[in-house]
Amino acid sequence: MPDSQLMPDSQPVPDSQPTVPDRRAATVEFEHVTKVYGAESTSNPGAVNDLSLRVPAGKICVLVGPSGCGKTTSLKLVNRLVEPSAGRILIDDVDIATSDPTQLRRGIGYVIQSTGLFPHQTVGLNVAVVPRLLGWSAARQRERADELLALVGLDPVRYRDRYPSQLSGGERQRVGVARALAADPPLMLMDEPFGAVDPIVRERLQNEFLRLQEELAKTILFVTHDIDEAIKLGDLVAIMATGGQLAQFGPPADILANPASAFVARFVGADRGLKRLSLVRVRDLPLVDAVMARPGDPVAEQRSRARGESSGYLLLVDDDRRPIGWVDLRDGDPRAAGGATLTIEMAHPMSPLLEPEMTAKDALSQLLDADVQMGIVVDRNGRVSGLITVDTIAGLTRADTGDGPSR
Amino acid sequence: MNGKPLIDWAWVGGHLDDIAMRTVQHLQIALIAIVVGFVISFVLSLWAVRYRRAFAPITGVAGVLYTIPSLALFAALVPITRLSLLTAEIPLVLYSLLILIRNIVAGFDAVPSDVVEAADGMGFSRTGRLWRIELPLAIPLIVAGLRLASVSTIGLVTIAALLGDKFGGLGVFITDGLQTFFPTKVYVGAVLSVGLALVVDLTFVLLQRRLTPWSRAQDAPTGREQHGPSGLAGA
Repeated sequence: MPDSQLMPDSQPVPDSQPTVPDRRAATVEFEHVTKVYGAESTSNPGAVNDLSLRVPAGKICVLVGPSGCGKTTSLKLVNRLVEPSAGRILIDDVDIATSDPTQLRRGIGYVIQSTGLFPHQTVGLNVAVVPRLLGWSAARQRERADELLALVGLDPVRYRDRYPSQLSGGERQRVGVARALAADPPLMLMDEPFGAVDPIVRERLQNEFLRLQEELAKTILFVTHDIDEAIKLGDLVAIMATGGQLAQFGPPADILANPASAFVARFVGADRGLKRLSLVRVRDLPLVDAVMARPGDPVAEQRSRARGESSGYLLLVDDDRRPIGWVDLRDGDPRAAGGATLTIEMAHPMSPLLEPEMTAKDALSQLLDADVQMGIVVDRNGRVSGLITVDTIAGLTRADTGDGPSR
Repeated sequence: MNGKPLIDWAWVGGHLDDIAMRTVQHLQIALIAIVVGFVISFVLSLWAVRYRRAFAPITGVAGVLYTIPSLALFAALVPITRLSLLTAEIPLVLYSLLILIRNIVAGFDAVPSDVVEAADGMGFSRTGRLWRIELPLAIPLIVAGLRLASVSTIGLVTIAALLGDKFGGLGVFITDGLQTFFPTKVYVGAVLSVGLALVVDLTFVLLQRRLTPWSRAQDAPTGREQHGPSGLAGA
């Protein structure tokens, strides 16, 4: 079979040589890049118009926009599947036009929506494609493939000998990501990698992707048409308009807080205030100190304390400062009446406990669900750190100025 | 009917050596044509795949050749190439071109574009992509073309018997039988020719299964979605 006898891509690279550069992430810079397609072009890919942006090493930059805005074209310009009409692209300050396209591509991870897995090769061989092109030894290829399958959550023993047709959509996407990571490239290009899977799988893949990126810290250019995905994944978001214009570029919080144009405002949606809540964690928010009391404290003394509080409530906590419930010491609450000291029985059921890692969006939704004004924020050990009010969270959606909290 | 049986088994029994020799000869002549035809078609197909504009002229010429009556073509070549093996092989090769080129080109066209794009994006060279990605994925349609071409070539070899008993294979029995009013020879020639075609066809089916293990994986219980060109049946 010609497949095995002709290996024009394999250079006999000595195995001891580092074929993987030791830098882990690269900077990418577009300098006034324009791509014009002639009238004869039938597939009508999006043009790019004077695009300039810089992605620092180790960051995820999401290119987002309506179809035909040139986001995919911009991505393909980076691995030279498309050549610019004008301008230049620098990777680590080197103009990519000076490098050999096939060599350049072997150093850039590439993931596409339909995965483009090779149907005639097993999962293991698919993952090891670039190492094979780089001439790694067979043993090292296998080892690397197993390592990457495990990294993306696929058991190598179960999956390495399967063919792509035997995988589910989500599994294929994982293999696609593993394949792109195989040679440990400092830069990854991802074109709607989670676009073809159902919303639940997509959500899970996104979360795993973020977890993976925390570990790997690659520079990633990511294309999507989904603004929510862009906000969730991007350290930087580049919003592109039809015609290949860069409409706005910056951290998602900035874009949500200050849309640069009517187009951006419309594109991020009327609910951008709400969207911003998913960028903020509870730990980023100002907490209100809770007025706390312990079972056994004298009621009379606590009542005067509670009167000073606008709410009139005390938070009953145990000796470890774990919350027990609210005590209403205003006149007229039958639970608090009578006793001389505070007891557990006086406590009203609590409002939801919020964790610092929660997004403000989730916190708000919990408070609204429980129909309360105030949530109790607890630390890892379940101890009270403070209170947060619906008003505080709602205030975030209105703040149209200032720099939004970063993730 | 004068009471003679349709097949004279005594003749068959007495000419087993002859029958075996003709069968082998038949196969040899057919295989030479198929191999040469495939090599020519493959080169022309690669050219047509890379330079799309070449496709119409190539298949146009191959199509015209295909319409020439075989009897006439064999006869027309005799003054040029004499009664030689070449005279037998040239028409066989020419007739195989159209089927093979069409199928080989269709095979390459059937390679999913996302697979090609991924291969480019991974850093395959053009040659590397052709041999290691596109060719394996084109195999089902290429083999389908080979099956068609070989069946028709094996049938056509019988006509080469017109060039004399050195080149006709089993066709020599048929022409002899017709000239001497001896139906046994006609039947032996025809039946074995058909049998040969079936055996060669089956060989290609088995060859394809060996060459494309991934298309069988499709039927495995874990397979959920059809994907890729391996789902294509033969043309």
